[in-house]
Amino acid sequence: MADVIEIEELHKAYGSLPVLQGLSLRVAAGEVYGLLGPNGAGKTTLIHLMMGFLQPNQGRLRLLGNANLEQVRPRIGYIPERQRYHTRYTAREYLRFLGQFSGLTGVALRERVERELAAVGLLSAADRSLGAYSKGMLQRLGVAQALLSDPDLLLIDEPTSGLDLAGQREVIDLLASVRDLGHTIFLCTHYLQEVELLCDRVGVLVGGRIAAEARLRDLRDVATSVRIRVGSLDAELRARLENLGAGVRCDAQGVRLSPNTPALQATVLRALLDADVAIMALEPLESPLERLYLWALHSVPPTSAEARGVHVPSWDLEALAEPTAASPPADESASASDALLSELLGRNEGDRETEGRR
Amino acid sequence: MNSLTRFSMRLLRFTGFTLLEYLRSGRVAIEIIATLAVYFVFLRRPMDAPYFFSTLGIFTPVLALYTTAIIIGLGDRPQSYVSLAHGIGRGTYLLGLFFSACAIVMGAYGLLSLGVALLNPPVDMNLGDWLLGTLPLLLNIGLLVALMLLLSPLVLSTGWRLLVLGLIALAFSSNFIGGVMLEAMPESGRALLRAVQALVGGLLVPAFYGFQLAVTRDYSTPTAFANLLAQASLLASLLGLSVYALSRRDVIFSSQ
Repeated sequence: MADVIEIEELHKAYGSLPVLQGLSLRVAAGEVYGLLGPNGAGKTTLIHLMMGFLQPNQGRLRLLGNANLEQVRPRIGYIPERQRYHTRYTAREYLRFLGQFSGLTGVALRERVERELAAVGLLSAADRSLGAYSKGMLQRLGVAQALLSDPDLLLIDEPTSGLDLAGQREVIDLLASVRDLGHTIFLCTHYLQEVELLCDRVGVLVGGRIAAEARLRDLRDVATSVRIRVGSLDAELRARLENLGAGVRCDAQGVRLSPNTPALQATVLRALLDADVAIMALEPLESPLERLYLWALHSVPPTSAEARGVHVPSWDLEALAEPTAASPPADESASASDALLSELLGRNEGDRETEGRR
Repeated sequence: MNSLTRFSMRLLRFTGFTLLEYLRSGRVAIEIIATLAVYFVFLRRPMDAPYFFSTLGIFTPVLALYTTAIIIGLGDRPQSYVSLAHGIGRGTYLLGLFFSACAIVMGAYGLLSLGVALLNPPVDMNLGDWLLGTLPLLLNIGLLVALMLLLSPLVLSTGWRLLVLGLIALAFSSNFIGGVMLEAMPESGRALLRAVQALVGGLLVPAFYGFQLAVTRDYSTPTAFANLLAQASLLASLLGLSVYALSRRDVIFSSQ
């Protein structure tokens, strides 16, 4: 099956300000793709290009196998970044109007509106003015309007922007249920948690192009660094714990495992329990996704002409999953991992070039 | 359903959507107050048809300026991305704003006409006279609304807007470029200025003559009908230009 999103060498500038500089990416049918990037990276610009609001300066953009975005627009659902809707209407009225704009009429329109209101949990508030909605409710309305015409592709821009923690969780749960319906989803965000919870694949947008890309499944396999926070540790116990593995580093208030594995974690916890140490918390220090993001953010020159069009393919990070006896000390392990990631990325770029030649 | 029917239905629905929001926003109170004020101040005295059309020929363009500015503001908001995302199309979107503004101004005109007809009818005006005077007046309202839409940031970039405004200024420049200033110009410059004034000023003739036609309702010569045609053509051209300009540019709504 053809990819739902095909973007090649896309360039977009606002006047003399370049935003996208040779961005290329593909998203397969049924896939949930998360695009990470700092504010101002061009995520919204990319979504607006896909919606046809903006026109590219250069490059190729095909959605659902069609380069004419006007033609495919009825098959695309769009959730905007800010929860800005026409607040003079009730939810039911608003969805009915939007449904009519999409070409729905009569019974089909009524049924779709009621179905989507129920799906996002707004049926009881359907006749309330949108001006009285909370941000979370507005974002749920955003999901409902995007699903109104049963789209094949959903473009979502910063879905939890401006929401409190409860609202964020609510929206993420809602999007997870939408994902389970099998829609292809393209999600722009700068929240790593959204990507971790929702996406199959992630790309990092830096300098107007995809600086790194990975499958979440691969990233999940990679061990993370954790810190076990304790009441206090005496010197003898600290020495004993550090002898358990090169990835174990201690201070008076805690133990850091980097890289962490279930086996090492269990051994250290057992040793702490045996020594009657009060365990306060077990906290992740850094996730592989965060590492990927930071690596992409800081390692790629934003306007590197040579780098334009270089597409960093999916990572194979299994090598990071298992610590070895020769693992470097914890303080050095992060930089060593970075070096390994860089090496892997370089290798993957080589793989992509080889595939291209094939 | 063929494409023209589909287009018409979407246009109708989007116009209804915009009008309903306008009404609910309460902004229409300004139009209602202005309409009542015009009625009580100007239209309660004994009058004839030329007075009626002269008065409304001044009031309706002023009202059109206000209403269109507000409607453009309503249309130039981030909320509109969602409307566009539902496939109404840029042309439909712009025409929807146009018809919304026209409907409000023409509604005020209709209310005033009804009030006058019921409470203080002009001595020399019957329904036929009213129709003959109303037609060029409404076309002028349409022209003004279309021009304002064309000059909105949504449709034209700043450079193009300045160019159009400069051309309009040139059309009126004979009022302030003349005498000594004109004589100081080289012959070629004078010729060029006159040509531009004639060309651009010529485009405004239908609007001015339309106002005169509304007041006189003199349809005894072919010029009157030709002027109606010219007004309609100019209106279609302005709308066509706006739709074309919007279709060619990035849609970046104001982030107010």
